[in-house]
Amino acid sequence: MNNQAFSLAWRLFRHETKRGELTIILLAIILSVASVLSLSLFSERLETALTEKSAEFIAADRVLESDKPIDLGWIEKAKEMGLNTAHQTYARSMVFANEQMDLVSLRAADTGYPLKGTVKTADEPFVAGKATNSLPNESEAWIESQLFQTLGINLGDSIEVGDQVFTVTKVLTEVPDAGFSVFGGDPKVLIRKADLAATNVEGPGSRIDYSYFFTGDRDDLENYYDWLEPQLDREIHDWDSIEDDESAIGRSVGRAGQYFLLASLLAIVLAAVSIAVAAQRYSQRHYDPVAIMKTLGAPKSMVQQIYLLQIVFITTLGILIGVALGYAIQQVVVMAVADRVDVSIDAWHWKPLIIAIFTGSICAILFSLYPLLKLFSVSPLRVLRRDLGASLSSRMLQFLASGGAIFLLMWAYSQNLKISAILFVSGITLVTTLMFVTFGLIRVGRKFAQGKMGPWQLAWARISRRAMDNSVQLISFAVTIMLLLVVLVMRNDMVQQWQNQLPEGTPNYFLVNISHSQQPNLQAHFLKQDVNIEKFYPVVRGRFVAVNDEKVRTAVSKEDPDERDSGRNGLGREANLTWSTELQKGTEIIAGTWFEEGLTLTEAERPYEVSIEKGIAERLRLNLGDMLTFNIGSEIVNLKVTSIRDVNWQSMQPNFFFVLEPRALQNYIPTYISSFNLPSDRKSDITSLMKPFANVTLIDVDARINQLRNIVDQVSVAVEFILVLVLAAGALVLIAQVQASMDERQEELAILRTLGAKGWLIRSSVVYEFVIIGVVAGAMAAASNEFSLYLLQTQVFQMPAGMHWKYWGIAPVAGALVVGCLGAIGCWRLLSLNTSHLLRKMV
Amino acid sequence: MTPKVMIKTNKISKTVNTSQGELQILKPISFEVKAGESVAIVGASGSGKSTLLSLLAGLDEVSEGQIALDGEAMEVMDEEQRAQLRGAKVGFIFQSFMLVQSLTAIENIMLPAEIAGHSDARKRAEKILTLVGLEHRATHYPNQLSGGEQQRVAIARAFISEPKILFADEPTGNLDAANSEKIEKLLFELNQNSNTTLVLVTHDQGLADQCQRQLHMQAGELTEVFSESDTEKVG
Repeated sequence: MNNQAFSLAWRLFRHETKRGELTIILLAIILSVASVLSLSLFSERLETALTEKSAEFIAADRVLESDKPIDLGWIEKAKEMGLNTAHQTYARSMVFANEQMDLVSLRAADTGYPLKGTVKTADEPFVAGKATNSLPNESEAWIESQLFQTLGINLGDSIEVGDQVFTVTKVLTEVPDAGFSVFGGDPKVLIRKADLAATNVEGPGSRIDYSYFFTGDRDDLENYYDWLEPQLDREIHDWDSIEDDESAIGRSVGRAGQYFLLASLLAIVLAAVSIAVAAQRYSQRHYDPVAIMKTLGAPKSMVQQIYLLQIVFITTLGILIGVALGYAIQQVVVMAVADRVDVSIDAWHWKPLIIAIFTGSICAILFSLYPLLKLFSVSPLRVLRRDLGASLSSRMLQFLASGGAIFLLMWAYSQNLKISAILFVSGITLVTTLMFVTFGLIRVGRKFAQGKMGPWQLAWARISRRAMDNSVQLISFAVTIMLLLVVLVMRNDMVQQWQNQLPEGTPNYFLVNISHSQQPNLQAHFLKQDVNIEKFYPVVRGRFVAVNDEKVRTAVSKEDPDERDSGRNGLGREANLTWSTELQKGTEIIAGTWFEEGLTLTEAERPYEVSIEKGIAERLRLNLGDMLTFNIGSEIVNLKVTSIRDVNWQSMQPNFFFVLEPRALQNYIPTYISSFNLPSDRKSDITSLMKPFANVTLIDVDARINQLRNIVDQVSVAVEFILVLVLAAGALVLIAQVQASMDERQEELAILRTLGAKGWLIRSSVVYEFVIIGVVAGAMAAASNEFSLYLLQTQVFQMPAGMHWKYWGIAPVAGALVVGCLGAIGCWRLLSLNTSHLLRKMV
Repeated sequence: MTPKVMIKTNKISKTVNTSQGELQILKPISFEVKAGESVAIVGASGSGKSTLLSLLAGLDEVSEGQIALDGEAMEVMDEEQRAQLRGAKVGFIFQSFMLVQSLTAIENIMLPAEIAGHSDARKRAEKILTLVGLEHRATHYPNQLSGGEQQRVAIARAFISEPKILFADEPTGNLDAANSEKIEKLLFELNQNSNTTLVLVTHDQGLADQCQRQLHMQAGELTEVFSESDTEKVG
């Protein structure tokens, strides 16, 4: 390194910083680092917090599920590695009391359960529960509200589970890991793990599942999994986290995570755009000093060292200020959000800091590369011929350097080559298309520049004359507006979809076991109390016994007389069979065809048809064309699988694994299932609603829905804050772009002013010019927005895509307003200088 | 003793490519300038005088012919070598001053000495700044100085490396009469004191008349060469 070069670079940097000549490029770097850091750090913190909160829904950070007890050494190892552990055993068992019985989901938990979330209990059925830190005492059981109803018992009564008698001491209202399937679960009974052996429900042939819960630092958990993984048997073991969770919570958190990633990626692109614009400007402003230095005998290597060092100094200063500012912004947002999201967001992450510094450095270096090469190519002859610019003109090099920088950053940030490649190739296609469109528009605009010279003509003339510069500027405006639109529309669509998932009035209670004769009375009684029941679903219970004549395991509990040890897996319980000719809302046929109404009734020879749910088809290895045998009330019914359905289990509507064609069950007397919504403040009305229908079972899912809604609301709030941050970053980028382009117009304004052009003419022409650019950029942004959203929603977010027509109107108007106003402000600032000052600024 | 030849040109010409094909903007020219001599290149706008200056100073390459500065053939040098030659032997003064806007007056003056690697650049600059009477303006930026002051800084910058040849392009072109007079006086004083060869391009006949010789340019051709004592015709 040449000492002279270093001292000259440092001196130039000091003076130029002091004189505000580096403001634009410095601001661009500060902005990029600050926005990437604040967005990434905030989203990383928020995501961690939401994952933490969501982890309550599996009662731990990680869960190892197993069909068999695991080696206790695994638990010891987990403890050695600093993890907390807990254990719960699940058994399906019959419960007896008052000569009544019911099939229940027995949960035997050891101390420590739940590691995340809380168990809630109450002192009477169907009321809201309160959190408790304890578990039932020895020989005590906590049972869900509906069991009090079906067994006809009260608190303090006894129930028999297997060989053991338990005293019921609490109503179990909520366990964190209950899952969201309304009909998948039987009523729950919670006992101590130590009491399980005495029940004798464990043993050969019994259906027992074991869950081992783990919490700890992310790294410890990953290290533990690395150790554990080779020992796991995929047939027996399943390692889960909330990120793997297919529930509404898991999907919401997962999608929010993708949104945060998208927003941060777009912030990086915004930062890149602003640095690219600033670097171009920086280079042009230094043509004269480079020509002077070369004239005075500076070798090219010295000039290169001086300006590379300058970029290093600027980048370092920009990164330092950007990091401080980004952290401050993020901290302010954290404080603002703290009250609105019920999660702690104080975890520190290094990755965003590294990404922000990396972004600032890569953007500054790679986006400066081409402008700097142009700068180095400036001829010393420029000292005599001021019109001489740089001799290097390789747009390809510019595109390669800029494109390479963006791709590198996207890849580094997302760690996903495929997503980065999709976004990058789409971006390239987009920019190329935009460039052609822009040139076309500028060409068309030329004819508007003809005629008497007014502000309108002056504006068009300027746009046409600087076609190349304007096209680059137009594209950068369009890309900025498009990125903002993508973030805005994506947020709207996503939040809308979340809200649609659980709209107001979603059923929070289910009624099971309604007899045919009770239907009209029940509906009338509920209506009288202002509770609407929409639909009754007929249900016949049947036992699934064979597939293609091959018998399956049919035991539903150890007490079951049909117990068989071996054979193909069965359902493990009686199935709720319904019939319908209509496909339920939100359900989709993914294989085969749905029953054709009317046709089946006339073809007596044809086998009865059944439509099965996708998940159960996978679990029981069922395919189209398989013959299923059900035992319904001691009669055998054979059904042919003619379709497979994808069911939305999060819809909180009654859904079924098996839907039969109506004629298959026409000889059976069904019971009915229904659902209704009762606002939480009317919970006390449950008793009077249910009193006349003692045999009807009530399932309360209000708590689950509230939990789900709560987390979705918080994710929505988080997404909104991210949106505000990106919008703010985008606005600053627009300001920087207008500022940079205003400097380029300075010379022309000075000449017009010197020639005596009136202020209003100059001002109006500049405002018109920016309005035209804003309208065109807005319109192109709206079109590009549709294209990008379609790719993102279908390929990344797995959401339905659609057109967003209103933004085709909003974007050009907003573009015209924002860009026009910024142009007017910039112009006003320049014109407020007197002509000689303006001219002197040009020198 | 015969003075050394400082600039020697032999049929140098310049041709540029235009949309209409090749255009010869400077026709073959031959002349010599001796050490310590002052020469004015005069002519109308577009006559090719700035082009000639750019070739003499090694800012541009000749299309044809040979050109030597202090005995060193420039037509065989690349840009780096020409820059080195300029740094070592040439000083410049421009009509638009061409000061680096973000450096102070003294730092602008120091620039050639620093580029040449002189460790005493500041000391030299302070000395010469005093010579041009601007010691009180040392830490001012160019836009804080008047036109005359800026040109004095430019002259100081040109002389700091004690060049053998000084090229000046319309050195008084941007100045009023009073300032022009001061600058001319300063320029010729320094030229005489340091025995520098001076080549200047000007429209100003008054300024040209102060030079020992005048080269007249017209449409890319050197038409006449006048000296203080006699008149030569160049054919």
